[in-house]
Amino acid sequence: MSCCISTMVSGAIALAFLPLVLTFIIRYRYYFVLFYRAVLVRMWYDCTTGLSREERAFQYVLTHAIPGDPESILETFDLWCSKVEFISNIGPKKGKIMDRILSEHCPLTVLELGSHCGYSTVRIARALPLGARLYSVEMDAINAAIAEKIIRLAGFDDDTLIVSPSDEVIPRLRADYGLERLDFVFMDHWKKCYRPDLQALEGSGLLGKGSVVLADNVLFPGAPNFLRHVRKSGLYEWKIHRATLEYSKGIRDGMAELVYQGIK
Amino acid sequence: EEEKVGEEKPEVLSPEELEKLKEEVDERKKLISTLRGKPWPMRKKLLTLRESHEFVEKYEGALGKGKSRKLYAYKVMMLKALMGRPYGSMPRKTVPRADEANAMDFAVLWDFGVITNCLFGYAQYSVLFYGYYNSQRAIGWLKFRMPLSYFLVGVGTVAYSYMVVIRTMARNANEDGGGDNNSFNFSWKMFTSWDYLIGNPETADNKFASITTSFKEAILEEQESRKDDNIHLTRFLRVLANFLVLCCLAGSGYLIYFVVRRSQKFALEGLESHSWWERNEVNMVMSLLGMFCPMLFDVISALENYHPRIALQWQLGRIFALFLGNLYTFIIALMDEINLKREEEEVLKLNMTIWEASLYNGTLGVNSTAPPITVHPADIPRGPCWETMVGQEFVRLIVSDTMTTYITLLIGDFLRAVLVRFLNYCWCWDLEAGFPSYSEFDVSGNVLGLIFNQGMIWMGAFYAPCLPALNVLRLHVSMYLQCWAVMCCNVPQERVFKASGSNNFYMAMLLVILFLSTLPAIYTIVTIPPSFDCGPFSGKSRMFDVIQETLESDFPAWFGKVFSYASNPGLVLPFLLLMVLAIYYLQSTSKSYKQANLELKKKLQTVSRTINKVLTLIQHLLYSLCGTCTDIVCSPESKKKGGEHRAHQGKSNHQIPPSATSPPAPRGHRIPGPLPGNQWQPAPSVQRVPNSQRH
Repeated sequence: MSCCISTMVSGAIALAFLPLVLTFIIRYRYYFVLFYRAVLVRMWYDCTTGLSREERAFQYVLTHAIPGDPESILETFDLWCSKVEFISNIGPKKGKIMDRILSEHCPLTVLELGSHCGYSTVRIARALPLGARLYSVEMDAINAAIAEKIIRLAGFDDDTLIVSPSDEVIPRLRADYGLERLDFVFMDHWKKCYRPDLQALEGSGLLGKGSVVLADNVLFPGAPNFLRHVRKSGLYEWKIHRATLEYSKGIRDGMAELVYQGIK
Repeated sequence: EEEKVGEEKPEVLSPEELEKLKEEVDERKKLISTLRGKPWPMRKKLLTLRESHEFVEKYEGALGKGKSRKLYAYKVMMLKALMGRPYGSMPRKTVPRADEANAMDFAVLWDFGVITNCLFGYAQYSVLFYGYYNSQRAIGWLKFRMPLSYFLVGVGTVAYSYMVVIRTMARNANEDGGGDNNSFNFSWKMFTSWDYLIGNPETADNKFASITTSFKEAILEEQESRKDDNIHLTRFLRVLANFLVLCCLAGSGYLIYFVVRRSQKFALEGLESHSWWERNEVNMVMSLLGMFCPMLFDVISALENYHPRIALQWQLGRIFALFLGNLYTFIIALMDEINLKREEEEVLKLNMTIWEASLYNGTLGVNSTAPPITVHPADIPRGPCWETMVGQEFVRLIVSDTMTTYITLLIGDFLRAVLVRFLNYCWCWDLEAGFPSYSEFDVSGNVLGLIFNQGMIWMGAFYAPCLPALNVLRLHVSMYLQCWAVMCCNVPQERVFKASGSNNFYMAMLLVILFLSTLPAIYTIVTIPPSFDCGPFSGKSRMFDVIQETLESDFPAWFGKVFSYASNPGLVLPFLLLMVLAIYYLQSTSKSYKQANLELKKKLQTVSRTINKVLTLIQHLLYSLCGTCTDIVCSPESKKKGGEHRAHQGKSNHQIPPSATSPPAPRGHRIPGPLPGNQWQPAPSVQRVPNSQRH
């Protein structure tokens, strides 16, 4: 087969592929922007400053926010995430949805899996009624330290930040902390852990009828096993709140709200 | 299920056995129809299906209910192929010596470019192309007029296509009926969508899905009609988008022009010295551009912010422009090649006279009577047959278009679905919801592809007579392939809307394509003289001279005279004028009928609404009089469908308001009793029965 591709031939056929390349770039421009901000800018800042991303965020919040005011802290965080760098907090739009759900259900016992920098912890704590308790689980010790500082800055007492992986904590919640029932669970840790943790919660008996589980980022990056389990098990009334990814306009994302029905 | 496949069919069946057998067959048929919904593994389903089919077919005949098979007749130009004589029987059907070596070279045939080489090899002299056909006026003992038949079939196909398209359009226009579909849109959809004759659960699911889709469409329309934005920015963006699209069209046109010019250069240098890529560059570039530019148009149209239906129409219009631009660039290049071939022909004719003279020169004197020299047909120099070349180019175009479609389907749909499905387990983000996901089935794009394919067939059918037959084959394969691909790899489109309310949108496009495709063919028939030694019109000065010839020789003299009077411009022009006026008259009367229709519909709506109001009033009066809830009469649907008693009615526990197209059923004083549809004995008097009977 003697198809020696001369430069001019490949030129013409390659030019014919140009519309495809342009389409690709334009259609997925938001993903490219996200990649740039979340990966490239982060690597750049990691090299130039010596701090990690969360420490940089904390520095910024410390210098620009009003201490004791959760609202101001959240706003400063949002500003930093949209202008300077990208951290995957829950963001203002999805945060509003979460606030609405919280105010509808008024839970007294809340479990949060994966607080990262403490943004969602502050957000939940702000919306809780008096007398409610929030238990926050964070796996990484450095992030947990920063989250603790942020929570203290916001004016909440912080003795319920649990530093350990979620699959170890959940079986011991009942024993160590004396919890009987969780009214609200917020999941925002590693997406592949959503399903095992949900199954652990079911197994531990901490979910009662009417307990709400809110899982973030079920569409992007996506938690397909989790969604499959939810659909198949028949234990939940589930609904997906569609919104956009935090701090990004064009990438579609969703939060899954599950209401536990109990075994029929 | 019981295993009855191996059972022997008894010669005589008693009535009880016959009854049992009938029941068994019915049961099997029901199983077959509901098999798809059962939660069994695929292998079990297939096995059950096969067994049930065998059982049903085997025993249905015994019960005397055989099925008849329908035969589908295809329109193939078999007559010409039958009447023409086979390969080798006359000079122009023999392969010339120079090409003999190539034609049967199996190495060539099994090369990667097997199809294109085949075209330039053996098949060149087959029934597929123009050059096969002899110009002998009458063939065989039936005196079959080959050239006349070729011409008439070619022209007749075009005329028949026009007729069919316009007739379909007229029929669709009748069904559409026009009318005001904008008031009470949601109410109409809500109350009149369901079909109460549905008994099969799968049909019910499908109907449910289609009603949901139509609701989504209607909601989208409502949303779109309420948007209002900054008009100047919108206009600027629209102008910008159109400018970008024009740039893209111009770029693609120039690229095609460039590659066609290069391929002509290659052809002059001789095709053998170039690789497969270079030989097929034109077709590849055309197919690739035709595939990728619409995607770019789609992305650019996001700037314009139109209503989805309008955006879709713009998109289709742009794809149309792209296709036409590409095709006409291709045709202009083809014209250049035709001219080249004709010049070659002139040179060859000159050389032939010299060659013939040289043949006789050395052997005979002027007055000798030696036997004429026989020359093997393969040794006579053959003229370059431009018509066959045109046919070949079109066949190549169709083949490359088909290949591109299939490869796109396999890679863009199937491979993508496989990757998404199996990589999803180990990928960091959700492939199904996020980036690649499954490809959507693009209805309008596919319909457009079919229309364009048909346009190319119309264009090339005159010079490659078996092209429609090839296309029928390709369409059959496409149908099964795309059917499988849709079920296996595609998801429905996200935005649900149609390109237009009526079915005539695509038919109108088809008509325009028909016109634009047959234009070049007709132009070449009328202006370019046929080749001197190949095809059914060889030797004539114009192809349509065959009509003249036939009139002169096969019809009586007075017929020719009548025809010449009838084709006089003095007669034809007034006739054309009359037709134009008739069209105008028909158009205006049809418009006035449409208006009248619309008004009648409106009147009917108001009348039925009034009746509805009156009846509601009576109902309120009855409430207040009796002081109890009366169960108003059953739905008017049963009255509308001729009073057919249906079992489903008994299940409907809620009232259905009467549809506005038929007057509601007359309501008398009804005694509260069992639900409609059940048997109830009407009491003779209007006595009130306590409500305890109702549940």
